Amino acid sequence: MTSDITRIGAGGPPADGLGARPAGYETMDDHELLRLHVAGNPDTFGILVKRHRDRMWAVAIRTLGEPEEAADALQEAFISAFRRADSFRGDAKVTTWLHRIVVNACLDRIRRRQVRAADPLPEDEDRAAELAGPAKDDPAEVRERRLDVLNALKQINSDQRSALVLVDMEGYSIEEAAAILGCAPGTVKSRCARGRARLLPLLRHWQTTRGGSDVPAKTAAESVGTE
Amino acid sequence: MTDSGLPTSEHLEHLDTDTIADLIENLLPAPEAHRAREHVKACPDCQQTYDALVQLTEDLADEGRADIPMPTDIAEHLDAVIVSESVLRSSTVGVHSLVQLREEPRRHLPKLVLAAAGVIVIAAVGVGVVVSTADHSNEGAAGINPTLPAGEVPSMTTDQVGPNAQKWLENSNGPVLHGSSDEIQCARVFAAGRPGSELRLVQPAKVDGKRATVIGLPGGSPQDIQLSVVTGCSGSGGVATPFYDTTVTLRNR
Ligand SMILES: [Zn+2]
Repeated sequence: MTSDITRIGAGGPPADGLGARPAGYETMDDHELLRLHVAGNPDTFGILVKRHRDRMWAVAIRTLGEPEEAADALQEAFISAFRRADSFRGDAKVTTWLHRIVVNACLDRIRRRQVRAADPLPEDEDRAAELAGPAKDDPAEVRERRLDVLNALKQINSDQRSALVLVDMEGYSIEEAAAILGCAPGTVKSRCARGRARLLPLLRHWQTTRGGSDVPAKTAAESVGTE
Repeated sequence: MTDSGLPTSEHLEHLDTDTIADLIENLLPAPEAHRAREHVKACPDCQQTYDALVQLTEDLADEGRADIPMPTDIAEHLDAVIVSESVLRSSTVGVHSLVQLREEPRRHLPKLVLAAAGVIVIAAVGVGVVVSTADHSNEGAAGINPTLPAGEVPSMTTDQVGPNAQKWLENSNGPVLHGSSDEIQCARVFAAGRPGSELRLVQPAKVDGKRATVIGLPGGSPQDIQLSVVTGCSGSGGVATPFYDTTVTLRNR
């Protein structure tokens, strides 16, 4: 023990949230970390979480729109993954498995939200800016674009949003998305098509560099969602 | 799906965006799809909307490949939740063997469970994770003391703050956040004004007879924890006033 207060802050903050870890874990692959977790290791699941949380956060915040909801969904998902890690099949990718658990946790929340009645997503500008991540992490135009997408996604209905996030953004096939969403492939296609039609006027300024700005927005604005 | 968006004459009325989006997804019945395709070919405006929709799908895919950094407060909370899951799991395993553990502490449980054996009660409360650690310096084999209440406020002198904090933290794999949500919140506010602002330790204590809170923050290196003993955090809406500082070096980090 020392009392060397002057040293504080001199060495900068520790590398990550919980300080240094026993050496070696960071270099292990996902399978190995998960295997050690199942075997009782108390540290390796936390490393998996750190490794993939930004990816999973992207999925959750795009699907749910609200940071509080997304944080709750992710927490549920990671705890669920922690507890049923022994059900992981070794031939899959750990990220695919985690991803699926996160998606399901998000969809569960949407279903519960729908049961509670149609509640429009509240606008919160301050929180919205924060969603683009710490300013130091990415260039301004990347953050701006990210925010544009998040804000636009919030404005379309949650069925269309879930389908679009799964298919267009996360790269699931129509069939996979249909299985996850529990609906027919045709319904997924229709939700994606209508979702894109809704998003287009909201994100049209993205395409100005490609000369798409002078298309009349009237046709899109007039087409109100019917499925 | 209705026919309302379709033109009776190609140039009298544009296709609506839904119809064009459906056309791209092959959702239109064949005759309708044929007419729509013909219109798009002949109409620069609708062609542009068509192209823009195709481009949008590609843009969404690009954007979808990018991660989004999780906000720091949410990440810290998630870390704490996972740590508490881990500790809970370890202590659950340990409970089965308490009796054997006392008799033959080294034989029945793996080392990692022994490391966590001092941890008795874990509960996620509000924004923080409460991890109650037993002070097992005077206990028997394996240092198990299952009777220590979660809300205990240990007494110590300022000289003992460092060694005690070191012991609490070395018994845990992560932050030890103990006390009411008000007390943890007060510590958070205190931490926010400090160089390393991530809470590593919040422990209610009686220090030199005063009701105080021991707050641990990251020090200059990953194994160093900067400790501040403050008063004022035990009530609700309190403001921390530090009266003792020290730094400890954790041996197991
Ligand atoms: Zn047209």
